[in-house]
Amino acid sequence: MSEPLLVVRDLCTTFATPTGRLRAVDGVSFDLGANETLGIVGESGSGKTVLSRTIMGLQPRTNVEVSGSVRLGGFEVVGASETAKRSIWGTEVAMVFQDPMTSLNPVVRIGNQITESLRVRLGMSRAEAKARAIELLELVGIPSAAERFRAYPGQLSGGMRQRVVIAIALSCSPSLLLADEPTTGLDVTIQAQILNLLDELKQRLAMSVILVTHDLGVVATRTSRIVVMYAGRVVETGTTRDVFYDHRMPYTRALLESSPKVSNPSHTRLAAIAGRPPNLTELGAGCAFAPRCAYASDRCRAERPELTAAGDGHTYACWHPLAPRGAPS
Amino acid sequence: MNEHPFEPEYPVDSLTAGVAGGELSGESSIVMEATTLDGVVAKKRLGPLFWICVGWLALNVLGAIFANVLPLKNPYFEDYSVVNAGPGWHHVFGTDDLGRDIFSRVVYGARVSIAAGLGSMVIGFAVGMPLGMLAAYRRGRFDGVTTTVMYVLLAFPAIIATIGVLSFWTPRNLIKIIIVIGIASIPLVYRVVRAATLAVASKDYVLAAKVQGATDRRILMKELLPNIAPVAVSFLVIGIATVITLEGALAFLGLSVNAPTPSWGNMINESRTDLAQNPWLALFPALAMCLFLLCLNFIGDRLRSHYDVAEVKL
Amino acid sequence: MSNADQPLLSVRDLEVTFGTRRRPLSAVAGVSFDIYPGETLGLVGESGCGKSTTGKALMRIIEPTSGQIVLEGTDVTTQTGRALRQARTKMQMIFQDPISSLNPRRRVKDIVAEPFDCWKSVRGPERDALVSDLLNKVGIDPEVYGDRYARQFSGGQCQRISIARSLAMRPSLLICDEMVSALDVSVQAQILNLLEDLKVEYGLTLLFIAHDLAVVRNVSDRVAVMYLGTICEIGPADALYSAPAHPYTKFLLGAALEADPDSPARDDVLQGEPPSPLDPPSGCRFRTRCPYATEKCVAEAPASREVAPGHQVACHYPLTVTTKGPASDD
Repeated sequence: MSEPLLVVRDLCTTFATPTGRLRAVDGVSFDLGANETLGIVGESGSGKTVLSRTIMGLQPRTNVEVSGSVRLGGFEVVGASETAKRSIWGTEVAMVFQDPMTSLNPVVRIGNQITESLRVRLGMSRAEAKARAIELLELVGIPSAAERFRAYPGQLSGGMRQRVVIAIALSCSPSLLLADEPTTGLDVTIQAQILNLLDELKQRLAMSVILVTHDLGVVATRTSRIVVMYAGRVVETGTTRDVFYDHRMPYTRALLESSPKVSNPSHTRLAAIAGRPPNLTELGAGCAFAPRCAYASDRCRAERPELTAAGDGHTYACWHPLAPRGAPS
Repeated sequence: MNEHPFEPEYPVDSLTAGVAGGELSGESSIVMEATTLDGVVAKKRLGPLFWICVGWLALNVLGAIFANVLPLKNPYFEDYSVVNAGPGWHHVFGTDDLGRDIFSRVVYGARVSIAAGLGSMVIGFAVGMPLGMLAAYRRGRFDGVTTTVMYVLLAFPAIIATIGVLSFWTPRNLIKIIIVIGIASIPLVYRVVRAATLAVASKDYVLAAKVQGATDRRILMKELLPNIAPVAVSFLVIGIATVITLEGALAFLGLSVNAPTPSWGNMINESRTDLAQNPWLALFPALAMCLFLLCLNFIGDRLRSHYDVAEVKL
Repeated sequence: MSNADQPLLSVRDLEVTFGTRRRPLSAVAGVSFDIYPGETLGLVGESGCGKSTTGKALMRIIEPTSGQIVLEGTDVTTQTGRALRQARTKMQMIFQDPISSLNPRRRVKDIVAEPFDCWKSVRGPERDALVSDLLNKVGIDPEVYGDRYARQFSGGQCQRISIARSLAMRPSLLICDEMVSALDVSVQAQILNLLEDLKVEYGLTLLFIAHDLAVVRNVSDRVAVMYLGTICEIGPADALYSAPAHPYTKFLLGAALEADPDSPARDDVLQGEPPSPLDPPSGCRFRTRCPYATEKCVAEAPASREVAPGHQVACHYPLTVTTKGPASDD
């Protein structure tokens, strides 16, 4: 296999808040190859959004400490200056944010929002940029692209706006696309369209994609590998099938079992996880999930588990992992 | 696809978009998540400076109320033997060009400023606040008519109106000034209260109260009022400060209380003629007014930020 | 679970139109359904379909433009004043945003006691006892949390408090308007389980409005699917999900993202965008995106017809279990 596109090692992002030091991302490491789709899954407070922003280098300038390493195609993001980071933003790595209503400037026409980055980053002339922008709008499936070029974001629906955001992200042909909850808040049918679009674009433009989401349904059929996060830490990584069918960490199982499924019969009792997500400024020495885990022991509460390999790129952090099992027949 | 420019969003159901996630994007959400939600929420302190300001204001107010019983020199007594004297043992702040003690005039002068400030704000709130709350809660025609009337009144320059009325409504006294400024402040209070109530009235808990069978009156008092109180109090404090300044401006035009009644504005106005000879005449009332306003503004600002309940979206 | 008796709630031809006469926005265009005592009716659809508007119209928070709403035999469509307030005690609603459902400046105990205070039905120690009981039932310890302010709670806890508040008056019908949409998956599961338990204990009937198909299926006995202000299909949950009769339902289910890597890839994704309710398509409102639409669908809005006991579809060519194309028209 060739050199991985993205290498993250021991990444830690710590915020200084009035109530204490908050480790939003705590020792995250993973690799991402070219043309691969990785899913980062977790609930709110798991640190996944902070992680995606730290990978981009978008964390705020004050009251934040970042340590560890993020190497994107040879470029080290951690510690790089703003100017240096700007050189990779858009051209090497691009981000699609969650809320299409707020990620587009409501008073600028969408065409101009796309051509802006084309003209500034790639130095295109006005005509060239316009032609390319219309191409991009067609690429993301916006009908009547030439007319829509002059539309304002407020005139488009949520799904259309998200497509425009994707078009902007792709305008300078990045090799990595970070999509942070790209379909949350969109209708189910539109979600399916957007995710299919991302798949298609990934093939066509030979990009890697990181899908950050809380929705297991989003990552189930569209990712090759998944990273599960809890309280800022990675608790399990592996291929998608491993994480769904052969998970070892009890949190992963609890997460899977508490998600209602369309195929469940009516009135199925959901296996809820007791308690609430932890307060990140008050994490103890042991495993972050211990207070809510049915299998927790004293060791879990005292010592933080290391990431152990279960073979073939599958790792988990647990002192009492679940027994391995095969996929359902 | 329909091409209606700036078409309104689909009503109501569009709210489902964007909230179906669980996590807000942006680093501020992390700070929110960090706050312990079932333990102690770190109590925001008002700070020692806040209390110093409150103390200073209290001192001024008490001095103004009890000026009669305090051991002050008569503010009207003209002692020609000590005209334009600088600060000294007998006259702490000195005397003015008619030999009157500046210190006692400053203390008595506070009465005019404070009474004007409080009195006109009381009028403004007594009328503007209920109207604003009702208009924002009821909406419909009542809101439409009242707001239009208020905006028309706002468009008319208040200063000019005040000057105009006070020029003709003689003999001037403090009550008349309070009434005029009070009426002029009604549209301002109305606007602020209405905006604050609009923000609160659209929240789900107001709807929930309605759905439980609460009468409108109950909703206004128990759900809306406590939530707009911080804004109202803050505006009240700033309003008082503004009126005090306004009184000073009116005094400059000779439209404040008639001489020899001392007021801070009057004293500053009188000092204009011989500023070079007797700077103390201008300095002390100006200082008193300045400090009072500074304390008021600081308190207003602190109250606003202290009671600003941060909305946490999950 | 459904009774063959009188329905608890009966809605006939409900219409809600916003906007002006020149540009009317028909958010709900002739919706009819019944809810029987003790059952949970799920109301599902995408944004803009009018499901939330329907819920609010039932509560008379939004005024229906026309139609009839009958609750426990009483016509509540046009009631006002005290009669309306009294009717509302039998019907309660839980809102989507847990944080803004509670007054941040009031204590939890007072919030839950509010219905008692409004109606002055119970006072003093009896009132306190009832409040404590309600809080305990929803899993919030009144001793520890009763005096806290509402703003100090998380989303899941706020939703529990909202539930406690709505149960105070012992309503017969509880309308849940996207009540778990803003919650995390693990918290969502807790709240849904709680709702099931309370439903049994208090003998509630639920109208569960949501856009998440999996959640609706888990909770409901019967499900109604809405599209652009009309009900496409209504029937028993299991039957509707396994064998949808309306093309829209089929696409909706197909688009649902199942948390299962082995779920089959769907190639029949619904294309296009929902039309604007300001200018809805003539005839069947789904016809612009329906691959089976014919001229009849353009000309005539389909009436609701029964395809199986208790299962109704508003379509000229309802899908049968075995075929994928339009069935022959009778």
